Amino acid sequence: MATAFEFAPAIALFPLAAFVIALAFGKYMPKKGALAGIAATAASLVFSLWAFVTVAGGETYHETLYEWAVGDPTSEAGVQGIEFTFGILLDPLSTLMLVIVSLIALLVHVFSLGYMNAEGETGLPRYYAELGLFTFSMLAFVFADNLLMAFMFFELVGLCSYLLIGFWFRTESAPSAAKKAFLVTRFGDYFFLLGVVAIAATFGTLQFAGPESFVDAAADAIDGEETLFGFGAETWVTITGLLVLGGVIGKSAQFPLHTWLPDAMEGPTTVSALIHAATMVAAGVYLVARMFGYYALSPTALAIIAFVGGFTALFAATMGVVKDDIKQVLAYSTISQYGYMMLGLGVGGYVAGVFHLMNHAFFKALLFLGAGAVIILMHHEQDMWKMGGLKDKAPVTYYTFLAGALALAGIIPFSGFWSKDEILYDAFVLGLEDPVFGVAYAMALLAVFFTGLYTFRMVILTFHGEPRSEAAADPHPVGPSVTFPLATLGVLALVAGVANLAPIAKLTGMDITYLEFWLDGEYGVVDGLTYTAYTETIGYPAGEIVSEQATLLIAAGLGLGLAVAGALTAYVLYSGPEPVRHTEKLGSVYGVLRNNYYQDEYQVWLARNLTLPVARGADRFDQGVIDGVVNGVSSVSLFGGGGVKRLQTGVVTNYAALIMLGFLALLLVFGLHGGWFL
Amino acid sequence: MEPIALPDWAALGPALVLAVTALLLFVVDAVNPRKTNRPLIAGTATVGSLAALAVAVWYLLAGVGTPTGEGGRGEFHIFGDPGQFVIDEMALFFMVVVAVVTAMVAVASYDYMHDHAYFASYYSLVLLAATGMATMAAANSLVTIFIALELASLPSYALVAILKDNRGSVEGGLKYFLVGALSSAVMVYGISLVYGATGHLQLEAIAEVIAAGDAEPYSGLLGLGVLMLIGGFAFKTASVPFHFWAPEAYEGAPAPVAAFLSSASKAAGFVIAFRVFTTALPIGDLAPMGIDWATVFVVLAIVTMTVGNFAAAVQENVKRMLAYSSIGHAGYALIGLAGFVGPGGSELVMSAAMMHLLVYGFMNTGAFLFVGLAEYWGVGRTFEDYNGLATQAPIACSALAVFMFSLAGIPPFGGFWSKYFLFTGALSVGSTAMIAVAAALVVNSALSLYYYSRLVKAVWIEDPVPGREGLSQPVGLYAAIVFAAVMTVAVLPGFGPIADAATSAATALIA
Repeated sequence: MATAFEFAPAIALFPLAAFVIALAFGKYMPKKGALAGIAATAASLVFSLWAFVTVAGGETYHETLYEWAVGDPTSEAGVQGIEFTFGILLDPLSTLMLVIVSLIALLVHVFSLGYMNAEGETGLPRYYAELGLFTFSMLAFVFADNLLMAFMFFELVGLCSYLLIGFWFRTESAPSAAKKAFLVTRFGDYFFLLGVVAIAATFGTLQFAGPESFVDAAADAIDGEETLFGFGAETWVTITGLLVLGGVIGKSAQFPLHTWLPDAMEGPTTVSALIHAATMVAAGVYLVARMFGYYALSPTALAIIAFVGGFTALFAATMGVVKDDIKQVLAYSTISQYGYMMLGLGVGGYVAGVFHLMNHAFFKALLFLGAGAVIILMHHEQDMWKMGGLKDKAPVTYYTFLAGALALAGIIPFSGFWSKDEILYDAFVLGLEDPVFGVAYAMALLAVFFTGLYTFRMVILTFHGEPRSEAAADPHPVGPSVTFPLATLGVLALVAGVANLAPIAKLTGMDITYLEFWLDGEYGVVDGLTYTAYTETIGYPAGEIVSEQATLLIAAGLGLGLAVAGALTAYVLYSGPEPVRHTEKLGSVYGVLRNNYYQDEYQVWLARNLTLPVARGADRFDQGVIDGVVNGVSSVSLFGGGGVKRLQTGVVTNYAALIMLGFLALLLVFGLHGGWFL
Repeated sequence: MEPIALPDWAALGPALVLAVTALLLFVVDAVNPRKTNRPLIAGTATVGSLAALAVAVWYLLAGVGTPTGEGGRGEFHIFGDPGQFVIDEMALFFMVVVAVVTAMVAVASYDYMHDHAYFASYYSLVLLAATGMATMAAANSLVTIFIALELASLPSYALVAILKDNRGSVEGGLKYFLVGALSSAVMVYGISLVYGATGHLQLEAIAEVIAAGDAEPYSGLLGLGVLMLIGGFAFKTASVPFHFWAPEAYEGAPAPVAAFLSSASKAAGFVIAFRVFTTALPIGDLAPMGIDWATVFVVLAIVTMTVGNFAAAVQENVKRMLAYSSIGHAGYALIGLAGFVGPGGSELVMSAAMMHLLVYGFMNTGAFLFVGLAEYWGVGRTFEDYNGLATQAPIACSALAVFMFSLAGIPPFGGFWSKYFLFTGALSVGSTAMIAVAAALVVNSALSLYYYSRLVKAVWIEDPVPGREGLSQPVGLYAAIVFAAVMTVAVLPGFGPIADAATSAATALIA
C-alpha cells in the first residue's frame, strides 16, 4: 500500500503540469486550459487531504529528494560542509497550509470559468498557465524543507504575481502596478536573500527541522554563548531573523512595504483572491510560522514583528475607511488582517496566528470572489457609490458576502471572531506586563473598530439602499461557476472557527481546541516544531486581571464591542436609500487618508531624490570608467591589429627579414639571460 | 592471445595505409590517363583516410601505447629500441586527428575541385601530405622528424599552388615554399647543433646525455640549437615570428587545402614539438644550464595569440580572418608547452592542448570548408558578401554559427571545454608567467568573440545581398560541414572519453 507521502511531490507537480498543458495546448482546449487547471488543483487537493489525514494518523514526512550542490566550507558555527537540497517537510503546519492553498486555488479556477471565460476575455491560455505556475510555486514553497528552497519558490511566487497582476498588459495601469508589486517585494526579498546567505554561512545548514536544522544550531549557539561574526549569538540570530523578515514584510504587505498591494488590484479579481487569501501575501506570514522556532530565540525580533503587525493593522484599517472602490477596501483590509497575524505571531501566539491565517484565507477568498461576482453583476463597475440595492437581485452573492464581512469584522460566531479574539487575547495578556506589547495591542484593538466600520460601509453601500446607477438597477446574471465557490467559502467562513474555540474551552474546560492540538503534536509531530516547544523557548510572562476567565471575558468583550460599534457606526452613517459621503466632516484628515498617508509620495521621493542620483552616479562610473576601459581596449586592439596588418606587406623578402629579426631578438634575450655566449 | 600476431612494423599502420592509398591513386590515374574517374578517385582517397582512422582508433582501443602494467600492449618502437619511431597513445591520438581531417577534406574536395584538371594529383598530394603528418606523430628521432616534416611540407607547397591559373594561389604557394625553405634550413641547422652538443639524434639518447651532464660544456651550442628547433616548429604551427606565410598561403590556397593545412598540419607540428621537448630536452636538466625553453614558449604563446587575434579583428576578408584566427589558436595550443614543468604538474595543461587541437580539427576545418562552400557558390570573399546567406542556406549557416561560437569558446560547444581546460591547466601550474598566459588567453578569447560573431551577424542578421542567385547544395561539401558541426557539438558529451584519452596520452608522454 503506497502512502500519501510517496505522492507528496505530486501535490505541487499537478499544477505544474497544468501550466505546461495550458501553455502548449490551451488554445485548442474547449475552456482554454481551465479544465486542466481545475483537474490539477482538484488532484492537488485530494493528495493534500490524503497527506493531511496521514499526518492526523500520527505520521510525518521529512525527506531530502535531490541534492543539487555540495560545498566544503567551514561555517561560522564550526560546521564542516554545506549541502543545498530540495526536500519535502510534511508536518501539521505544512499539510494544513497545503489543504488551504489547493482548496482556494481550486475554487479560484472554478470561479474563473464565470469571471474570465464567460466574460469573453482574450489570452486565457496564458491566464490559466500563469495560474497553474502560481499554484505550483506556492505549494512547493509550503512543503519546502529548507530555507533556500523556500526562497526560490518565494521568488517564483513573486514572479507569478507580477505576471498575473499585469495580465491586462495593454492597459496603462496594469503593467505599472505589476512593476510596482515586483519592485517593492524585490526590495524586501533582497534582505531575505542576505538573510539566507547569512544563516547558511553561520550555521552551515538551511534545514527547517530535524537535528541538523539551523534552528537547533542557533539554539545551541545561544546556549553556548558563542560569538558569531563579532556579535553575541542572540544578537546575530536577531539580525539574520530580521533580514529574513524583510522578505516577509514585502510579501505580506506590512508597513512600510505595503504600497504595492492596493495597486495590485489592477489584476483580475480572481487573481486578487488567490494572491490575498492563499498565495503571495500568505507566503510571508507562513514563512514566519514555518521558522517560528528561530524567531522564538530572539525576543527582540518577536517584539518588532508584533509592533509592526499591530501598527500595520491600524494603519491600513484607517485608510480602508475612505476608499470608494470595492476592491480597494478589500486590499486595505488584507494589509490590516495580515498585520493581525504578524501581531499574533509576534506575541508568541503561534496557534492564534496560524488560525487567523486559515480563517482569513477562507473569508478573504470569499470576499474577493464575492466582489468579483459584484463586478460581474455591475458590468465591470467597481465604484461602490454607483452600486446599491443588489441585496434582492443577487441573494446568493449577498448572503455569502455578508458571511465573509461578518467574519472579517470579527462578529461572533463567525470564524474571524475566534481567531482575531485569540490574537488579541494573547497580545492583551502580554501587554499587561510589557508596555511595548501593550501599545501594539492598543493599536490592534483600535483597528477592530475601523475594521467593523469599513466592512459594513462596504456591505451597505454595495447591497443596501436604492440602486444608484443603471447597471445596479439591471444587474448581469451570474452562473453556478460563480455561486458554487461562494457558497462553499460562505459555509467555511461561518464554521471554520469551530477548529479552535479557545475562549469556550477556557471557560468551560472542554477539550475542543483542535487546531492547538493539531499544531502541538497531538497528531503527527516533527520534533521541536510544536506550540509547546515554541512557548517554552519564548517564555513570556503572561499577566491577568483577577483570573484567567475574567481576563478572557474582558478581552473578548472589548474586541467584540468595538467591532459591533464599528458596524453600527457604518449603519448609522450609510444606511437609508440615499447614503451621503460624510467625508467632508473629516476635514484635512480626509486628504491624508485619501492619499494613504502620502506613503507612495515619500517612496517615490526616495526613489527620485536618493536612488536615482546614486544610480546616475553608478551609470556614470559604468559609462566612463568601465566602458571606457573596455572601449579603450577595443580601440587599442583594432589599432594594434592595423599595425600587424601593415607588417604583412606581401613582400616575401620582408617576411624573411622579419623572421630572422624576430629569431635574433629571441636569441639575444634568452642567450644573454641563459649565459650561452660566455 | 591474438589469432594473428601482427609484426611490429604494423604499428605504423595508419601512416602506411595513407601511403598505400596515395600510391593507389597514382595507379588509378595511370590506368586511363585520358579520362579522370572523379568519383573513384575521391572515393579511394576517402576510404583510405577512413581506413587509417579506423586502424588508429582500433589500436587505441586495443591498448597500444597503454603501459603493459595497466593491461595494455605498451609502446611499440621501430628501428631499434628506443627506436626511430614510437607508437604511443599520443601518436595514435594525433593520427586520429590527421585522418579525420583528411577524410573531411577528401569528401569536401570532390565538389570544390570538381572542374579541376589535376584531380588525381590533388588527391595523391593530399594523401602524401597526410602520410607525412601521420609519420610526424610517430617520429622519435630528429632525423625521422625532419624527413617526416619535409614529407608533409613538400606536397603542401604544391597543394597551395595547385590552382595554376589563379594568381593568389600561385603567389601564396611560392611564399609558403620560400618561408618553408628558410625555416627548414633553420631547423636542420638546429638539429646539427643539438647533435654536435649531445652526439645523438635519437630523442631518448639525447635526454640521457643531457641528464648525465655530458652536454654541460656545450650549453651555448645546445641552447642555440634548441632555439632553432623551436623556429622549425613555429613555422609548421604558424606561430610568431614564423607565421608570415600563413595568411597569404591560406588565402590563396583552395579552401579545403587551407582547412587541411590549418588543422592537420598544425596538429602535426605540435605533436613533434610536444615529443621533442618532453622526451629529448628535459626541462629539469636544461633550465639550470640556462636553456629555459618553457619560458620561450610562454613568450611565443602570448605573442602568437595576441598577434593572431589582433590582426584577425581588422580583416575584411573572411578567409584571411580565419587565417589569423588560426594563428591565434596556435598561441592557445602553445600553452601546453609553456606550462611544462616536468613530470607531475603538467599533465593537465598538456592534455588540454591536445584536446584543443582535436576540437580545433573539427571546428576550424568546418569553418574553412564553409568558406570553400561560399567560394563554390561564388558569393565573394568579404564579410559584406556573406550578408544574409542564412536565408538561402540555413543548414550550412547554422553549422557556421556552431563553428564560430565554438572557436570563440562559448559553451556548450567543444571549443569552450578545451579552452576551459587550458585555462584551468595554466592556472594549476601556478607560476606568475602562467597566470599571465591565462590572462592573455581570456583577453584574446574575448576579443576573438568580436570578429567571430561579426561573421555570424553578417550571415544571420544582415539583409541578403540583392540579386543573388539561388544557391546549390553540393553533397560532399555539405556532408563534410555538417559532420564537422555535429562533431563540434557531440564532442561535448564525448568529452569524458576524449579527455581521458588526452590525459593518459599526456601522462604517458611526460612520464
